[in-house]
Amino acid sequence: MRKLLCVVTVMAVFLMGVAMAEEVLKVLMPIGGGYTIEDQEAIAREFEKDNPGVKIEMEFVGWAELWNKIITSIGAGAAPDVMYIASRWIPVLADMGAIIPLDEYITPEKRELYYDMVWDTVTYNGHVYGVVRAMSTKVFIYNKKLFEENGVKIPTTWDELLEAAKKIHNPAKGVYGIAMAGKRFVSTVTQFLQYLYANDGKIVDEEGNVVIDKPNAVRALEFYKELSNYAQPGIIEWTREDLIKLFETGKVGMYIDHVHNALKAIEKGVDVGFFLIPGGPDSVKRYSTVIVTDCIAISSQTKKKDLALKFMNYMTSFEKQAEWDLKLGFVPPMVKEKDLPEFQKWYWKPYIEAIKYGYPQSAGVKDWEGTQEVLLDAIQSVLLGQSDAKTALSQAARIIKILQK
Amino acid sequence: MLILPLLLAFSIFMLYPLYKVVESSFYKASFLNPTFRVYVGLENFRWLFNFKVFDPRWSYFVAALSRSLLWVGGSVGIKVVLGIAVALLLNSQFLAGRRIYRTLVIIPWAIPWAMSSMMWAWTLNSQFGLVNSILLKLHIVDKPVTFLTTAKSAFLTTMVVDAWVGLPFMIIMFLSGLQSIPDDLYEAATVDGASDWTKFVRITLPLLKPVILTTSLLSLVWTFNSFDIIWVLTRGGPIRATETLPIAIYNVAFLLTRFGGIGKASAMTMAQVALVTVISVFYIRTLRRGVEI
Repeated sequence: MRKLLCVVTVMAVFLMGVAMAEEVLKVLMPIGGGYTIEDQEAIAREFEKDNPGVKIEMEFVGWAELWNKIITSIGAGAAPDVMYIASRWIPVLADMGAIIPLDEYITPEKRELYYDMVWDTVTYNGHVYGVVRAMSTKVFIYNKKLFEENGVKIPTTWDELLEAAKKIHNPAKGVYGIAMAGKRFVSTVTQFLQYLYANDGKIVDEEGNVVIDKPNAVRALEFYKELSNYAQPGIIEWTREDLIKLFETGKVGMYIDHVHNALKAIEKGVDVGFFLIPGGPDSVKRYSTVIVTDCIAISSQTKKKDLALKFMNYMTSFEKQAEWDLKLGFVPPMVKEKDLPEFQKWYWKPYIEAIKYGYPQSAGVKDWEGTQEVLLDAIQSVLLGQSDAKTALSQAARIIKILQK
Repeated sequence: MLILPLLLAFSIFMLYPLYKVVESSFYKASFLNPTFRVYVGLENFRWLFNFKVFDPRWSYFVAALSRSLLWVGGSVGIKVVLGIAVALLLNSQFLAGRRIYRTLVIIPWAIPWAMSSMMWAWTLNSQFGLVNSILLKLHIVDKPVTFLTTAKSAFLTTMVVDAWVGLPFMIIMFLSGLQSIPDDLYEAATVDGASDWTKFVRITLPLLKPVILTTSLLSLVWTFNSFDIIWVLTRGGPIRATETLPIAIYNVAFLLTRFGGIGKASAMTMAQVALVTVISVFYIRTLRRGVEI
């Protein structure tokens, strides 16, 4: 009995020692889409090295499962202390009270590091709920050889864009004017938003009105459909993420994507050029792009708020941010990053230039996931010829109005 | 005493989750607001037939249920018919290398379903897919077939892929059933001058009936719950053409949270469980009758 007591006491002291020695911070991170476990764990280990006694316990979830993981863990009262989230989820998570407002923890110096528009993507009801970790703008990547062979100049209007796609399109030879996405996935909605915002359309306006059924939005969807006539067949089976495989074959005139995918095409020997997304006929904007950001948010269930804030600031320090952006090929969200030598390279310039024409992906949208489902119905029904753009967007507007309540 | 761990595991992993689903179906609850739960009685079940936001003609649940019934019926039908045909072939004494084929046939069953779906997504791809490459080279088609891009073709394609995944189980089960039929019956039928077709209809099918019913019942339950294949191939699209009940339940729980939520998703789950149970009881009764005869 004494022996047993001794063993139990020693074990209890040992476990208490371990518990006291390590303050564990649970962090939820995505994998896929360029994010690897190794890259993210390296940051955690560095933080642990600089902060003895702290253990960063990272949990990795694929992007497609991240949303479910977040809301189920919140529902179970077991939310991670720090969460990497898509900024478009902020309104829902903020309304749930699942993430904390960060206004009082963001110093003026930190705020100044970023473009103003970057803060817009993480602000909801006047409060900042996240610090941006990754940002993307997108531009057209084009195949210079196909443009030259077909006597196509760089398009600066939608008419020229359509004309360019028409001239290059030669399906008999397996050559397509443009590559487009239509599968049920977030990136299909974002691809459509590129044209919507370029034509000065919006899902929800600044006053909170649903305006996705307005004439400029209808025109954008009509144009998406018209362009699809000069795209690869069966665009419904393609996500934007897969289009690079098609572009790499050298048989696609152009498509909208990230810089890191353009680099893959260059590596495969495609002579690549870039041009900004031209403004539509109803817009006074010369160019446009959708700004997509991901951010670090802190759970309202955390009992280690100070440590969570420290880790968030560590991850989003200028040095770590620049290192991250360069490693993964993301557009710099911090103003001074653009002055770094690497960002002076020719292929970065159009993406950085596009920032000033950017509009946040989910501006004003309260329930992104629901809205995304509704917009996908509209886009797919028009692409399949089951509905015209006006009818499809009227139906979408009717449902989004309910979601915005 | 020995049964205690089993009972414990059964309670934790089967009864408790089932209880939570039943309980949730009577509450208004959502992941969006974990602290808010209100007892609503049968309201969630009424919602199944009243929620017509996407299509005024059909409720969201009824539309998904109809798709599910058609999809499951088609897929199980393919599995049963092809399963019997391939099992007969593998049981034939005239087929050389039967053992090798029997081993090979199990491969699709051994691959994780999500992986199989990814493999099929690229195999059927209009630009890089093996199927289109063969069809074009043999001049069967003059332009690539886009299998997953129209409502009908996507529905059929996902059904066929599901059948491909589930077929090995059916073949193995039918094969074992065929091997248990005594050879004397066939020999006696041959002496009586029965044709191959008569032997199949009068001997093989009746004696294989219990195996067919048991196997198709299992397949029916699994196919009703099939999620990965459709999710990877089409995510329920195009539009909502392949949105079967499991996909719809997922959407209501996680994506259409403002309309649905966990309470309504639980009600949909309960309805599916009830339906599958009714079909299963019908099957089991038929099976018993078959055995008694």
